[in-house]
Amino acid sequence: MTGSAAKAPHRDNAPRLRVVVETISYVNEMVSEGAAGQREFEVEARQGDTVYDILRRFSSLHPHLNEALWDPETGGIGPHIEIIFNDTILGVRDSEETLVQDNDRIVLTGQYVGG
Amino acid sequence: MRTSEGPAESPGRAAVAGGFAGRILRVDLTAGRIWTERPSEREYREYLGGVGIGAKILYEEVPPEVGWDHPENRLVLATGVLAGLPVWGSGGLTVVTRGAMTNGATSSQANGFFGTSLKYSGYDAIVLQGRAPHWVYLFVHNDTVELRDAKHLLGKDTWETQDALHAELGFKGHQLSVYTAGIAGENRVRFAAIHGDYGHVASKNGCGAVLGSKNVKAIAIVRGDRALPVADARGLFTVADTISHDLRTNPTTQALYKLGTLPGVSNLSKIGVLPIRNYTTNQWPEGVDKAPWEGQALRDGFDHRGHQCNACGMRHCQQVVLGKGEHQGAIVDEPEYEGWSCGWTMGVTNPTDMAWLNTQLDRAVVDLNEFGWLMGWVIECYEKGYLTRQQLDGIEPTWGDVKAAHALLQKLIRREGWIGNLLAEGVKRASEQIGGPAAECAVYTLKGAQPRGHDHRGRWEEMLDTCVSSTGTLESGQSVEPGELGLPARFNPVGGDDVAKIVAGMLGRRHFEDSLGTCIFTTRTTLKNLCLAVSAATGWDYSVDEAMRFGRRTACLLRAFNLRCGIGPELEKPSKRYGSTPVDGPLKGVAVADQWESMVASWYERVGYDRTSGRPKADLLRSLGLEKVAQDLWG
Repeated sequence: MTGSAAKAPHRDNAPRLRVVVETISYVNEMVSEGAAGQREFEVEARQGDTVYDILRRFSSLHPHLNEALWDPETGGIGPHIEIIFNDTILGVRDSEETLVQDNDRIVLTGQYVGG
Repeated sequence: MRTSEGPAESPGRAAVAGGFAGRILRVDLTAGRIWTERPSEREYREYLGGVGIGAKILYEEVPPEVGWDHPENRLVLATGVLAGLPVWGSGGLTVVTRGAMTNGATSSQANGFFGTSLKYSGYDAIVLQGRAPHWVYLFVHNDTVELRDAKHLLGKDTWETQDALHAELGFKGHQLSVYTAGIAGENRVRFAAIHGDYGHVASKNGCGAVLGSKNVKAIAIVRGDRALPVADARGLFTVADTISHDLRTNPTTQALYKLGTLPGVSNLSKIGVLPIRNYTTNQWPEGVDKAPWEGQALRDGFDHRGHQCNACGMRHCQQVVLGKGEHQGAIVDEPEYEGWSCGWTMGVTNPTDMAWLNTQLDRAVVDLNEFGWLMGWVIECYEKGYLTRQQLDGIEPTWGDVKAAHALLQKLIRREGWIGNLLAEGVKRASEQIGGPAAECAVYTLKGAQPRGHDHRGRWEEMLDTCVSSTGTLESGQSVEPGELGLPARFNPVGGDDVAKIVAGMLGRRHFEDSLGTCIFTTRTTLKNLCLAVSAATGWDYSVDEAMRFGRRTACLLRAFNLRCGIGPELEKPSKRYGSTPVDGPLKGVAVADQWESMVASWYERVGYDRTSGRPKADLLRSLGLEKVAQDLWG
């Protein structure tokens, strides 16, 4: 299910883009709508936004996720949430500074603890 | 017939630091002699327990000419300072030996209640040496330690062995902890493991084959009644509470607390590191519903009951009832992620089928990672015509065919026929024996170990760790609280230098954890918390620096042992298939081979080992108090 667009600050007048954030596994529980089964969220984006901007915008609406996602000391992405950008772990081909394109997809999942 | 010679020491606890039982139980199986040793407090502080004490014994007592199946090989079953104490998951066992897969050092862990029972009986470790003249089991209950006839237990699987000893000895539930290598161990299957307490397995490097080579069918430990004093009980309860709070609330461990490792299949499939069909693809199979493979669905898909280890509040370990299928009604151990992924390497996409097979592997008992790679190889080879129906005794394995896998399991654990004997040697040796193109589809390390159930071509940190390890499995382990060691919270999993930095930086932490007698899941907290627990138990002022120094020293001892056994840096590589480039999925085209040499070189530089010879450098050894090892290696 795709939810309504999240309202957050964005670049005025730049062309709009459609970016989807999907939450899976226990990250779904960190997102308030997740309890109702919603897993995909369309986040309002504009040309010039980076992956970092999208993550900040989305997590600002979900306090539990916001706390888990960011490293309080560095302000960067912390160790608890794995971020997949267009099917590849963020950092492999792209970074937080990558400019998003129309129909880009970000998946947030838990860090794997093996055994 | 019983050989009964209780420990030669007087009863009572040695005057050592709190938390320790104060005695090491030594058993010479050849002579039938049993005695105890009482390490000094200095020795306990220097070697702690678990892999620490095991590494010391291996290095000092197993010379290079003593191979894994030589009677004079040592099999150390050790627990640690926190075992039996009110810390979550404190029933741990570490097995240290010269193992059958690599013919080098092994450090493998299991949980359950072994560690607790052993400590309450008054021992911190058991060291087996020699070979019993006939099959025996070791019985331990306080000062009663006996080698008892085990002929009536031969041919029983691990669960049957535990059932039989419970009935024979008149104990119930967790009063008795039984660890055995099953039928696979009896037949010295190279990847036989040691299983106990209905679901806990020390699986690596053929440690079960070593137990079997000593003609020991099982170790049965009654939960003793010795007191286990600690230095600061209030402090211990406080830090135990802090650790359990961390595990329940930390975003990384929350899922582990609730669901164990069940979320692994869906998580790893998303990032392209689920090992599907022997590394031949990274695409989720078409037509296979993903929903039943979500963590919560795997838990809810079975009728389940908690099966926690000693003092553990996690909701991780469960026993489940199969609700449908051919084995409906069977009680099995809920698979870990590694159990599920074992199935995925063979193409098994039905959770009920794999839940059943996972427990058959435990009953056998073999390392399920190795079994998965072996079956994946067999299926692929049969599909491509490298193995024939005749060679497989009429079995025609296909992807996802659990019945065929089970049939082959039954042959290999008994070394039945040509195929049983071939497969019992593990995938590296089996593929080398077949040769030709079959040799190119097997997943293993050149040392003879195997990766766990992940596609490491997308997790280079684990491929590097597995290949350079001195333990027959991951040695640094996963990055836990990296900031505490000055390491970055995130890194590029396919960036060679990033990966080398993490693996090198974490080296030592796992050895410290594996010396405490606890579970790696319940130690997913800060080193500071773990050191507070050690300090409260012992009365020492135990710091993070001391913990990591201990860990690095243990790593050096194990590496020195392996080098002495002829296991050198030339073997620190993946097999052709293991180190291949993914052909599809999120990491298509990402080639570890392009960066392998530079990544390994970077690791060597960071850990302070000599790249050419593989030796820890002399000044490093001396700084860790290993003067004798420095002399042995460098002259």
